[in-house]
Amino acid sequence: MEEKLLVSFWPHIQDRVSTKRIMWTVFLCLIPSGIAGVYFFGLHALLLIFISIFTAIITEAIIQFLRKKEITISDGSAALTGLLVAYNLSPAVPFWIPMVGSFFAIAIAKQAFGGLGRNIFNPALSARVFLLLSWPKYMTSFIKPFSGFDTVSSATPLVLYKEANLNLSNMGLSYLDLFLGKRAGCIGEVAILWLLLGAVVLLFLRIITLHIPLSFLLSFSTLSWIFSKSGFFKGDVLFSLLTGGIILGAFFMATDYVSSPLTKKGKIIFGVGCGLLTFIIRRFSGYPEGVSFSILIMNAFVPLIDRYLKPNVYGKK
Amino acid sequence: MGKNNNLLKEFTKGIFKENPTFHIVLGLCPTLAITTSLGNALGMGIAVIFVLVFSNLVISSIRKIVPDKIRIPCFIVVIASFVTIVELLMQGYLPDLAKRLGIFLPLIVVNCIIMGRAEGFAKNHKVLPSIFDGLGMGLGFSLAILLIAGIREFLGTGKLLGRTVFLGFSPSAVFILPPGALLTLGLLLCLFKKLKKEG
Amino acid sequence: MDIKTTLMIIISMVFINNFILSKFLGLCPFLGVSRNIKPALSMSLAVIFVMTLSSIVTWLVYRFVLLPLNITYLRTIVFILVIATFVQFVEMVILKKSLALYRTLGIYLPLITTNCAVLGVTVLNIDNFFVNNHPVAGSFFYSVLEGFFAGIGFTLALLIMSGIRERLMLNDTPSLFNDLPIAFIVASLMSLGFMGFNGFRF
Repeated sequence: MEEKLLVSFWPHIQDRVSTKRIMWTVFLCLIPSGIAGVYFFGLHALLLIFISIFTAIITEAIIQFLRKKEITISDGSAALTGLLVAYNLSPAVPFWIPMVGSFFAIAIAKQAFGGLGRNIFNPALSARVFLLLSWPKYMTSFIKPFSGFDTVSSATPLVLYKEANLNLSNMGLSYLDLFLGKRAGCIGEVAILWLLLGAVVLLFLRIITLHIPLSFLLSFSTLSWIFSKSGFFKGDVLFSLLTGGIILGAFFMATDYVSSPLTKKGKIIFGVGCGLLTFIIRRFSGYPEGVSFSILIMNAFVPLIDRYLKPNVYGKK
Repeated sequence: MGKNNNLLKEFTKGIFKENPTFHIVLGLCPTLAITTSLGNALGMGIAVIFVLVFSNLVISSIRKIVPDKIRIPCFIVVIASFVTIVELLMQGYLPDLAKRLGIFLPLIVVNCIIMGRAEGFAKNHKVLPSIFDGLGMGLGFSLAILLIAGIREFLGTGKLLGRTVFLGFSPSAVFILPPGALLTLGLLLCLFKKLKKEG
Repeated sequence: MDIKTTLMIIISMVFINNFILSKFLGLCPFLGVSRNIKPALSMSLAVIFVMTLSSIVTWLVYRFVLLPLNITYLRTIVFILVIATFVQFVEMVILKKSLALYRTLGIYLPLITTNCAVLGVTVLNIDNFFVNNHPVAGSFFYSVLEGFFAGIGFTLALLIMSGIRERLMLNDTPSLFNDLPIAFIVASLMSLGFMGFNGFRF
């Protein structure tokens, strides 16, 4: 077997300590949003979160054991994936959904590619779309916040706007409600306030940079404003940003190191692409939410983006 | 005795060692598109066996009189003729199946397996072995797509051949969609790779 | 020939009904040539070229030969022969005119001839733009458009895949998944993403 000279610049996340620190910090920054989700939707949501994280960790441990590799579950990446899978679920799904989802995320979207640092597609989003296409009924049934035991089902604001053409007052919501998370939606995506706070911490700690989230949100907002359903330049940008999963997606999913570009230029292109696709899918396709699909599609472009936007080699002109 | 053994070998290689789907990995287009149900796979399998056997037969028969330079177009005409026959027969007697198979019925013409066997075997071998080769490869292909279709239909709808089977789980609709097809084939290829290594 | 139909055809061929990720046409070259970006690019150009021109030629043959003579059931044979001959002819012309172009495209041309994607798009054109054996309004234009953008869709999927596979070669993919199986997993995840375009409507 000839020596493989790895002359590449991928983030070879070899340093276990720093990986550990990054993963668990992101995990911590996401916790407040999850607490809010549980507060709004009840203990079943908490159960889903636990099942999801547990399945992710166990799956990774078993696969690494079978592959006779070092078991790295303490680095937090499996736990983080599990958490994100749960955050993308409706709080009303049966318990086995996060099990299948986390298994798919770790086994197929991550370990089949070689494990941490080698996946092309965001594992949590791969799982979410897989689940959405497999069990659309479960994945698109949401509940009203504070429903208690006898959950009251409700469509999300995004769906109500797209399908039934309702506006905020018809839905009985205010922008503040949306910001705090008092609406039907996925467990970890509703509490915009807490998501943004977590994002600010990550930005402050330089774990993520603004390039992707900003370009994502700006391109999306501009298009939503100009080409809205109600006429040119009449888009309710605030509504579009505060509903669906775009805040969660832009700050916590699109910024995943492994599946996003390395260079600054690349990141911006990636962000713009995500924004563009999210807008197109939300506006024209059969699905109310486009964030997951758009990030997955842009993930596929990352190897090309990185290949043609190589960082400057030191010494070359 | 020896001749019969050889014929048997030509027949079985198409099913196991040189299975066109899982080992040589050919003829993928219908493999993924058709396998949404066992019924479709059955129909396609029979159609392909028919075309394979008869085109191998004819091509092998005329192999010594076809000029080398124009052999490919000649083979194509032969194969296309039998595909047209199958098309017409199916449209006449099994119109529902023909509709479900859609463009993949005429596309049997460009199924790499058939041209592959014509070029790779029939043109260099006698008629009888060519027939057995066609039968074996056709059967190997059919078994492969039946396997894939069985998995996809069962996981995706909880049914087999349109009849509900015992369901302990909620069917996962993604398996009758394109991503599920690709996933199924990818995982099966892994399985067969492993079996080949150990076998 | 209205804008809406034109746009729908483009979006349909490239995204919603992508020949590789959705219709599964052209998988053999897709898997065979996607290991590296450069040959993928060359193959893509050849495919766009062949698909567009085949759409033109087969439409004309269908309209002015098969239909009048009432032998539309011979479409499969005739189309494949037309495509094969025509591509052979083009290959000879390219070889004569430009060795450089031949080196880029030439070896892929015969590969594409017997490729489901080309025959597929020509048959698709007939199914889509002929009703009761009469061409619909703008049939020729739409058919050529469909052929061209089917090629573009093929190119998009092929380029993305080759970029990914080139990167995967530097990976430590488990040997069980190496090369083909992981390529299918990748295609499956790509396909998951593209499903977002389902139900597209203006």
